[in-house]
Amino acid sequence: MERGYWIRSKPVYTALLWNDKATAHAVLAEGEGGLAVLKLFQQALPEQPITVFYSPAGADKDYLPALQAAVDADLRVFETTADLMAAWASYLAEARMGLRIYTTGIEKFMWDVAETAASFGILNQDVMKELTGSLARSVYCVHCKSLTHEVTSNIATCGGCGRKLFVRDHFSRRMGAYMGLMVDAENPGEVPQIEEIYP
Amino acid sequence: MSQLQVKVASIQDVSAGVRHFTLVDASGGELPAFSGGSHIVVTMPAPGRTYRNAYSLLSSPEDRAHYEIAVHRQPQSRGGSIYMHEAVKVGSVLDISYPVNLFALSRVAKHHLLIAGGIGITPFMAQIHDLERLGGDYSLHYGFRSREHAAFADALKGRVSQRAVCYDESLGQRMDFDALLRAQPLGTHVYACGPQGMVEALVATARALGWPEHHIHSEQFLAPPVGEPFTLKLSKSELEITVQGDMSMLEALEAAGVDAPSLCRGGACGRCELEVLGTDGQLQHHDHYLSDADKASGRKIMPCVSRAKCGYLELNL
Repeated sequence: MERGYWIRSKPVYTALLWNDKATAHAVLAEGEGGLAVLKLFQQALPEQPITVFYSPAGADKDYLPALQAAVDADLRVFETTADLMAAWASYLAEARMGLRIYTTGIEKFMWDVAETAASFGILNQDVMKELTGSLARSVYCVHCKSLTHEVTSNIATCGGCGRKLFVRDHFSRRMGAYMGLMVDAENPGEVPQIEEIYP
Repeated sequence: MSQLQVKVASIQDVSAGVRHFTLVDASGGELPAFSGGSHIVVTMPAPGRTYRNAYSLLSSPEDRAHYEIAVHRQPQSRGGSIYMHEAVKVGSVLDISYPVNLFALSRVAKHHLLIAGGIGITPFMAQIHDLERLGGDYSLHYGFRSREHAAFADALKGRVSQRAVCYDESLGQRMDFDALLRAQPLGTHVYACGPQGMVEALVATARALGWPEHHIHSEQFLAPPVGEPFTLKLSKSELEITVQGDMSMLEALEAAGVDAPSLCRGGACGRCELEVLGTDGQLQHHDHYLSDADKASGRKIMPCVSRAKCGYLELNL
């Protein structure tokens, strides 16, 4: 990729910051996102009630003791991310307008959180996101339409059809995935060197 | 601007100072389709000058045979609403614009909260037709000064009493925006139409409670405020035009035969934006369209409602 290559669809992730104009706050984190939650709780806390959803899945360190000590709020810990997502959906069903949503973890986790929020009428642009842990991508195969998760290399093997896919920067907010195109369509078998570029 | 010709089929007084007009196509055909929240601009050829005012359509968008509008007589107005009340009779033929919607319902909202003050009820009358037809979840909160000012309140009671709450200010009933907005389920969109103070208070409360900007919708058609006369210098057409104190810049341009674009004529849509090249005074922005930064830059102006306190204002037109 040439230096400075950029397309608009590629999301920009920043650091989480409290938004004081709110009626409540929900923070959703997975794995290494625990560290971003600790950073968030080092900022001056907003006045409104805060609920933290955390699943340690995929974390390199055990953030739980630090979170339990630092999070002066309703901290809910889940063994699996699936359990967390189920609790998130039930929480949203009871939530009122003015809820601010913050999420941190790998891209797949954050976009799953945003997709659940979207089913309750909240657009992904109103879900604040901080990428942590890994640059791993979800890849959408334009040939067989299946999704392959946690891709860390420039070329991925499609989990649906087995094609070698070139992983583009073109990102779908609806699917939370990058576009993958068959890399050797012109010259079958001629696959460039596979490198880990999304560690 | 493309125009339609309509004939006034009936006139009714629906509340103190509010007259309700039913319009049909002048040649007996179907009228163009519209969606709830749309307005038309009515051209009123009064002696000496032409008024053009925007009015929300309140009839059912499914009814292609009629348009209905309601006009509140504004005693301090420059003359448009008085013309509609005094000069327009059953059988009068009027030029109107095609319907334009600057106040459309969101397609992704899970719940619609409609807030009306006084004559601001009109766009919601048509939106309620759409919501009922599409099965949209909504509630309407309608405030008015007193029973005599409650246009369409009885019609609403009959049609959608389950979803409508009325507030009679003469009985001390007031909307509590803070409590109302806090109680809304996630995914709610709020729509406000009514007096400027009410709309501004609603929008400010929603923002303070953390409502995302695109969940907040409002519409106010402003009348061009009266000011002092000044001269417009048009750099491209090399014309000088005087804007009288009780005339808007847009009206002065039109009266001089200048082809200036416009749409809502109420400071809402942005169609009439003009580039300012210079002035020896101060711009007086009154629109809801330009950002604060645009207004401060002094490079842009909306001639439908804004003016200047100056000797001359030069425009790139």
